[in-house]
Amino acid sequence: MTRKLLPLFVLTALSASAYAATPPNTLVVAQGLDDIVSLDPAEANELSSIQTVPSLYQRLVQPDRNDPAKITPILAESWQADAAAKTLTIKLKSDAKFASGNPLRPEDVIFSYTRAVTLNKSPAFILNVLGWQPDNIASQLKKVDDHTLQLSWTADVSPAVALNILSTPIASIVDEKLVAANVKGSDFGNEWLKMHSAGSGAFKMRVYQPHQAIVLEANETSPTGAPKLKSVIIKNVPDPASRRLLIQQGDADVARDLGADQIDALQGKPGLQVLSIPSAEQNYLVFNTGNSTNPLLANPAFWEAARWLVDYNGITKDLLKGQYFVHQSFLPVGFPGALDNTPFKFDPAKAKEILAKAGIKDAHFTLDVENKPPFITIAQSMQASFAQGGVKVDLLPAAGSQVYARVRAKQHQAAIRLWIPDYFDAHSNASAFAYNDGKSSTVAGLNSWKIPELNKATLAAVAEPDTAKRLDLYKEMQEELQRHSPYVFIDQGKTQIVVRDNVKGYQQGLNADMVWYDRVTK
Amino acid sequence: MPAALPNPTAQRTRRLLSALLQSLLTLALTLLGLLLVTFALSALSPVDRVLQIVGDHASQSTYDQVRHQLGLDRSLPVQFWHYLVNLAHGDLGTASATGQPVLHDLLAAFPATLELATLALIIGAVFGVVAGVLCARYAGSPWDFAVRTLTLLGNSVPIFWLGLLMLALFYAKLQWSPGPGRLDDIYQFTIEAKTGFALIDTWLSGDKEAFRNALSHLVLPVLLLAYYSLASITRLTRSACLSEMNKEYILLARAKGAGEMSILLRHVLPNIRGTLLTVIALAYTSMLEGAVLTETVFSWPGIGRYLTTALFAGDTAAIMGGTLLIGVCFVLINNLTDVLVRLTDPRVR
Repeated sequence: MTRKLLPLFVLTALSASAYAATPPNTLVVAQGLDDIVSLDPAEANELSSIQTVPSLYQRLVQPDRNDPAKITPILAESWQADAAAKTLTIKLKSDAKFASGNPLRPEDVIFSYTRAVTLNKSPAFILNVLGWQPDNIASQLKKVDDHTLQLSWTADVSPAVALNILSTPIASIVDEKLVAANVKGSDFGNEWLKMHSAGSGAFKMRVYQPHQAIVLEANETSPTGAPKLKSVIIKNVPDPASRRLLIQQGDADVARDLGADQIDALQGKPGLQVLSIPSAEQNYLVFNTGNSTNPLLANPAFWEAARWLVDYNGITKDLLKGQYFVHQSFLPVGFPGALDNTPFKFDPAKAKEILAKAGIKDAHFTLDVENKPPFITIAQSMQASFAQGGVKVDLLPAAGSQVYARVRAKQHQAAIRLWIPDYFDAHSNASAFAYNDGKSSTVAGLNSWKIPELNKATLAAVAEPDTAKRLDLYKEMQEELQRHSPYVFIDQGKTQIVVRDNVKGYQQGLNADMVWYDRVTK
Repeated sequence: MPAALPNPTAQRTRRLLSALLQSLLTLALTLLGLLLVTFALSALSPVDRVLQIVGDHASQSTYDQVRHQLGLDRSLPVQFWHYLVNLAHGDLGTASATGQPVLHDLLAAFPATLELATLALIIGAVFGVVAGVLCARYAGSPWDFAVRTLTLLGNSVPIFWLGLLMLALFYAKLQWSPGPGRLDDIYQFTIEAKTGFALIDTWLSGDKEAFRNALSHLVLPVLLLAYYSLASITRLTRSACLSEMNKEYILLARAKGAGEMSILLRHVLPNIRGTLLTVIALAYTSMLEGAVLTETVFSWPGIGRYLTTALFAGDTAAIMGGTLLIGVCFVLINNLTDVLVRLTDPRVR
């Protein structure tokens, strides 16, 4: 048996030569897919699913891919806003069809929003911003005629904010007729949509094998036009080193989530190009002002000193090797109204002076941090840089969900956290960092930061219908938080993606859902 | 009147039935204990399963809803009891990480691992036993030294590192082997997965190229796992042979003029078969449960990787299901080994 097996294996190994080619007309993407819980747009909330859903579904409006500050109609043909009445009257594209061939109707829009709100899955809080809740959603959506519907909302938000919210993946429009045939009980087709698609995006789902691959097939009848490639295979390659080998060998056309070392190794390699795209992801340090075991954490002088004790350049340039850049305000660069000034630098002498002036001695705190890069890297740098300012930091590394759980239970003293906006609007971040009504789990709330004045400012900004005035309000809030808050904004991320140089037309934007495969050619 | 002698056939049947019942009871208790420990470990883990699913931006109402759906708002004994009741009905629950029934996931993942581990075991056992016997025969020779060094490496070098090196050399540099995964993309989604075993499915499809492709994808991970099992099998075979060769009956055989190879093959090997079977069975079970790193490096969608993902996601249903499957395999393989040892070795009957 051995005599027969050995030559068989050796022969197979030696004769397998032409391996380095992806199928023609197909884009092969190598990335980790283990985070996906669901591909139902009403439930998708993880990075990999949020990146995939926009290829399968479309929304009434979406941020322009070249100028995301501008909202462009996709399934809507036009809209009429009434700020006083808090309504949007939307005319749908009359010739738009789903991949199934079913025409787009107002009923599909009403069904999509109703199911998203009623199912109340993890991204539902985005639609809740409009005041939409399971018990009132039916009264907020009204069919006007075969191509028109009226949307109303109860919250005090301007129509511009409402449109931005409707441009998020959870507001994707699903094909009611197709989904209705696959509903189980009161699940609105949720179980079926985890594995199948019912949208009008540039692609439709051919196969989804959890933890293995997503295979997308061109939707030739997409209202925004057929994609240039016939299919996209998004492969789960859990190990970044294997992803690097695949892209290097040409067995993948695009590789995501490579570490800084892998990117370094691939820079300048023939046949490959490294794309560096700013992302809206930010890392920040936060002090839990309500932690009674350490009163120092509620001291504004200590917050101020902390801002001078972070080695911003050392972290971004040396440790994180250019995958992040210094950014010190709560709106990421690229968002309308973002402040891009960087008033703070590493200055331990200045920090010591601030601490001495405030009479703070033997400062120390514990720092909850996820035990993986970039968080642990940032934390270790901070431990060293804070020590130079006379502040002792004890690291509490743990798995991501453990850190979330401790922060949610307000058991932490300080934490290094990541923030990604949930929708392309300043309110997404302002409502997290500058709003605490004592009930919601906002970042300010989880850190017991009491801010009645900022609450008013946040509510005023989201209700302001004048765009220029609104942006000014956010600028003022950012300046305020930059100088007087328990947050130290450290950096903003850059998504680094490696693509083969025969791949043209790949586009990716600031937010996680801004991934476009439809114009790719190879 | 003399008392009637008991019927020997009936006695034997009773003994057999009693032994079978005892084995079944032991199996049930072992699995119950395994489930209890796994459940307790999952329950005591600091991972918040709800947050793993909903993320940290979700509203409190969503958090509470998912917590209720997962049954986490009930007491731990009630949760465990519900799990057992569902299990008795063949329901292993739904994996939160895939949204699919755990049984469905396991049936999809297990054949991938079984195929990999079985092929690796065949190679590892055949070469391991042969190398071990030869090392014992030529103990202290350069051959013995070389093989022992090689097996020492197998016992000490991290498997993921060696896997990556193999990929870098045979895939990236020499281009002799395909990259990670079970099949090339052109076959991955066209071959119908009837059995879940890539070799069988591609063979059944009638596409010889696909079969060749599946075989070529298996070469590196199989050789890697085989090397690790070979390392332990070789060393244990060698030491078992050497300890047997010091016994008196071997001395007698030598005195009667038997050659060394004949002594090894005719006297030593039959006497160490029990040890060999146990070592091979242990290597097999450890490959079934512990091929995690090989599966990660080679993007192999097997049970090891399924369990690791479930562990990181705090997906208790998937962890319990995977543990149960591996536990059943472990018990079955061990029992099968016992039976084989009893059948082949008259000393333990």
